[in-house]
Amino acid sequence: MMLFQGQYWFYGTHADKVKKLTAEFVGKHKLFSYNHEVYQLAPIVGYLYNRKAAQNREGGSDTSIFPDQISNNKDVFQFNYQLIMLLDVNHEASFDARVDKAFRFYGTDKAAMDEELYESYVRGGVDVLYEKLIEPSTSPDDYIKNLYEFMEDFESRHGQNTKEIYDLCRIARS
Amino acid sequence: MLLKSLKLKDFRQFKGEQTIVFSDDPEKNVTVIMGDNGTGKTTLAQAFTWCLYGETDFDDKILLCKATLRDMLPGQTEKVRAELTLTHKGTEYIIVSEQQYRKTDKSDKPVEVAGQRGFTIMYKQGGQVEYVKQSQLDGRMKEILPFELARYFFFDGERITVMSKRLSQGKGDEFARAVRSLLGLDAFTSAIDHLKKTIKDYDKKYDARSDSKIEDYTYQISNFEQTIELIEMRLSEIADEEVLVTERIGDLQAAIEKNKKSEELAEREKKLISRRDALIVQKGRNITGLLSALKRAPAYFAKKMMRDSLQQLTKTGKTDKSVPFVNAETIKYLIERGRCICGAEVCTGTDACNTLTELFSYVPPKSIGDSIADFREKCKERVRISESMFDDFEAKYADVCACDSEYAEVLQDIADVGKQLLGMDDVGKLQADRKRYETNLRGLHMEKSDCERRMGGLETECKRVETERDKLTLKDDNNRRVTIYKAYAQYMYNTLLEQYAEEERKIREELEETVNDIFHSLFDEGFMLELSERYDVNVILSDFGGSSETSTAQNISIIFAFIAGVIKMARESQKEENGLLVTEPYPFVMDAPLSSFDKKRIENVCDVLPRIAEQVIIFIKDTDGEIAEEHLGNRIGRRLTFHAPNNSKTETYVS
Repeated sequence: MMLFQGQYWFYGTHADKVKKLTAEFVGKHKLFSYNHEVYQLAPIVGYLYNRKAAQNREGGSDTSIFPDQISNNKDVFQFNYQLIMLLDVNHEASFDARVDKAFRFYGTDKAAMDEELYESYVRGGVDVLYEKLIEPSTSPDDYIKNLYEFMEDFESRHGQNTKEIYDLCRIARS
Repeated sequence: MLLKSLKLKDFRQFKGEQTIVFSDDPEKNVTVIMGDNGTGKTTLAQAFTWCLYGETDFDDKILLCKATLRDMLPGQTEKVRAELTLTHKGTEYIIVSEQQYRKTDKSDKPVEVAGQRGFTIMYKQGGQVEYVKQSQLDGRMKEILPFELARYFFFDGERITVMSKRLSQGKGDEFARAVRSLLGLDAFTSAIDHLKKTIKDYDKKYDARSDSKIEDYTYQISNFEQTIELIEMRLSEIADEEVLVTERIGDLQAAIEKNKKSEELAEREKKLISRRDALIVQKGRNITGLLSALKRAPAYFAKKMMRDSLQQLTKTGKTDKSVPFVNAETIKYLIERGRCICGAEVCTGTDACNTLTELFSYVPPKSIGDSIADFREKCKERVRISESMFDDFEAKYADVCACDSEYAEVLQDIADVGKQLLGMDDVGKLQADRKRYETNLRGLHMEKSDCERRMGGLETECKRVETERDKLTLKDDNNRRVTIYKAYAQYMYNTLLEQYAEEERKIREELEETVNDIFHSLFDEGFMLELSERYDVNVILSDFGGSSETSTAQNISIIFAFIAGVIKMARESQKEENGLLVTEPYPFVMDAPLSSFDKKRIENVCDVLPRIAEQVIIFIKDTDGEIAEEHLGNRIGRRLTFHAPNNSKTETYVS
């Protein structure tokens, strides 16, 4: 089945972690309001932290994203997919081939391996988010502190000059 | 009455049989019992009352020694026994109380009472030991020392505090009864009561046959008297209530003064609590803001990947050469039509045709240029939305932290205020209480004046009816005789009452003087004690400056002075052979909390006590031993020590 179509499911430990990431804490706040918000962030985090994870069914837990939420946010999911396909040299060394993976093969039979790669980054990203935000907390009060530390750490590692990207966008159009 | 010895067997901490011999030497009349707290000084004071009256103040009514109980087998019985030897009016008495206990096998109730308390009074007469008959036990005990008086002679520390409070709170009537009884005014009161009854009886002897009006009047008088008596009772209740209510108002007023600061604190606490609640709401808002910034995180996190992707696309020339919304079909159509959109002719081999043909490589489906263009646009859009994400997030986080630190400060302040408020009462509530009591007091005043007015009216009316009846009774011989007898009785009643009042006043004044003398020998002249008709004590400060001692020491001194005063007077009155007041001297058994006094006072107490009472038995703490020895040394006839091995709470031995 094609990615980003129909209902999406998290299983096993990843389902448990997604549930915790979207659970209410003090004052009815949630780190992520919906499962699809986790799904928007997780593959990026998975890729940048170089974390992949295989699917498991431990504990028999599951949780899903409804089809309408998938289709409403399909643009973002697809964009993320393209980014990973374009950049993962371990998956495919040739840039031309990566461009084809990003822009031509999505949704075709040739994309099966790519989609599996993408999914493993989603699950790896869920693991990272859980380890960074939930695991070190002794009380829900810590969530905000962990979140800030996570963001700050990310900013210092991968913080970007926005202007550079704008320039690149301009150059790319000749 | 002088105490000779007390033999205890398994009574509370006193394990096995132990004998305490008291000094009855007229010169060395002091027995000092030393022991630390918990070794049984209070128990000993209670042993006297149990032996004599079967009463104790212990919460645990089981008197059997716990250490003895431990060694017993289930079903086994053991006897608790107290034997007090004393002399009273020259006769030696041995008074014994006994109680059997049985050990059970129940864990919740390991011991039970077996049978009734045995009570025996023996006395020595001509070398023979005689037993007081069972039916006469109560009467004889009353004669030796009535229960209600005993409590004034066997003191423990706690009771001194309670008693002195009662006296200074104006609840001296109990004390008044004791004083009257001790100083021999009882005979007077019995005679007066008897005459009152006799006068009433004469009323019933009027012969109504001669005139039915007499019966009618007698009936009316009796009704009046009953009503008056009821009003009198109510008046006395009102007086008691007034004392209580006034005292409560005083307490509340004092508490209000003391807690004035709590009002400010409570106000501050209220403000802090509302600030705390506002901060909780504010923190919630800040977190919501922070988390809403997080919604832009996927774009923000992807920025680096966007940059890398765009760089590579640019580097490899995979740039966008496509024409938006134009695909191979469009170009094919234009070539076949032979004319461009701009109107130029398109023929095979022309530049226009060649340019259009070249475009086939860059437009879908052959080219992915559209997708790349689309991707680039998305990058632009995503960068735009995530542009200020981290700054916004950081700012919101700073707000959350600021809020947290103020919240922590406010919580600390609330705790500090709470600590200060602890032990303080709510002034608003105290004021409301005071107001309630004041209303209550006004009500009592009104009821009192109403009662007095009604009583006045009733008395007048009663007198008028009595006069009417007297007039009628004179007409009949028998009735005239009854009237004369009654008049005699009335005269005697009035005379005795007058004399009693006079004697009582004298005794009271004398007592006041004696008590003050003793009080002054304990305390400086700065204080005066005033004794009201109800034997209430007022402490009057005769000059300012006073003593630096605690009010506990003062209270103890008041009660001390009182008891000592009564005993002194009782002793002196015994010397007047023909005096109306005949009583026995009594021993003085008390817990002397010497540590409550300052050095000078200790000296005074030790000096005054043995001179007042014929026998003094005092309990002191080990730590006060030296002080007692220093000041009482030459008056001490016996020294005893209570010691509990290894600080045991269940065993005490006398040595």
